[in-house]
Amino acid sequence: MAEPTKQEIQAVYPTVAKTIADALGCDVDQVKLDVSLIEGLDAESIDFLDLVFRLERAFKIKIPRGKIVEDARGDLPEAEFEQKGVVTEAGLQRLRAFLTEVPADRFVTPLKVADVPRLFTTETFCKLVVRAQQAAAAAG
Amino acid sequence: MSGHFSAYSFVDRITELQPGKHAKGEFLVPAHVVRFPATLLAEAAGQLAAWNAMAYLDYKVRPVAGLAAEIRFGPDARPGQRLDIEVSIETCELDAVSYSAWVDADGIRVLELDHSVGPMLPMEEFDSPDAVRERFELLCGAGAPSGRFEGVPEPDVEIVERVPEQRVVAMLRVPAEAAFFADHFARRPVYPGTLLLDAHIGVSLMFAAESKRWPPGTRFAASRILGMKMRSFTSPGEVLELWVDVDPPADPTKSTANTGVRKNGKPIATGGIEIIARSAD
Repeated sequence: MAEPTKQEIQAVYPTVAKTIADALGCDVDQVKLDVSLIEGLDAESIDFLDLVFRLERAFKIKIPRGKIVEDARGDLPEAEFEQKGVVTEAGLQRLRAFLTEVPADRFVTPLKVADVPRLFTTETFCKLVVRAQQAAAAAG
Repeated sequence: MSGHFSAYSFVDRITELQPGKHAKGEFLVPAHVVRFPATLLAEAAGQLAAWNAMAYLDYKVRPVAGLAAEIRFGPDARPGQRLDIEVSIETCELDAVSYSAWVDADGIRVLELDHSVGPMLPMEEFDSPDAVRERFELLCGAGAPSGRFEGVPEPDVEIVERVPEQRVVAMLRVPAEAAFFADHFARRPVYPGTLLLDAHIGVSLMFAAESKRWPPGTRFAASRILGMKMRSFTSPGEVLELWVDVDPPADPTKSTANTGVRKNGKPIATGGIEIIARSAD
């Protein structure tokens, strides 16, 4: 699936930002496109669950759980993506290629799989929505 | 393991089961309990969903309280009444179960729960998978003996700040010891989110009763909980700060408020509450 364009991201950003603000109880002005949800907005794991369900409702789309990491992994076998809970070098390459919105210096090593959500920004979720919309359109 | 599967268990029997999809169950509110808070109806619904999900996922994980888009309360369920509980599971995966549920008491709808989400955690942290499996088989078969629930204590709350008609803050002292901790959960005692919600509702109702908006003698009840989110566990003996920010009046029959819970200054739960006024008897 093609990388979402800037226009596609900007089209969903206002609703995604409002949804994030509602889920985290913060001001929508704080929800910049490049803010890390965990480190910048104090999101916790329950907030990601909440956010995904809210996005599904807001955009009338279906977002399978773990979709971001699953899409980043692509056709790389799980055993080659991570070992003992730590993302492998091959896995890191996939993450860097997929999460293009995340600055390179934030991909620290070793990176635990459980810490991957620390990378997620508002734009990550905009792209998630755009991809879900594309998948729904392709499915007819 | 005194109290395990009885001190805070609200499903006596599972009468219908579609694994990962749907379930019906029953619970008899013991006639001898003094107090059966409405939030225990939500607990019963959540537990039935949990039984279904835990069995579906082979007891590897168990759900805990997380999110509820909306809880609607009907009339109170009274001691001696039989609860008929039904859950419709939307998704059931290793990270979370999402479901809607409803509860009738002697044929009267007393609770509706829309789009609740329970995050999954490793079962081993909370209980013995074998014990849970055995209990589930009992519930699906002959059923567990009813009447073993002994009730829950009144929450220990103290108002520490009030701005009339606008805001109230209370401290909740979670008991260091209570029977329900043996059942919630056997290997890791956690203050139930539904008891926290009960305490919060109590503070909100008390504050509503102080309001000059209503005629003297007005009685109140919580009618809805909106957008509830539990972000953290509470252990025995902890002290929590409950706050209620009342919205400006917009409807002559009800009051709404934003609510939250802080522990050591950090938000651990949020949600909204709607309170309705009932005519004086």
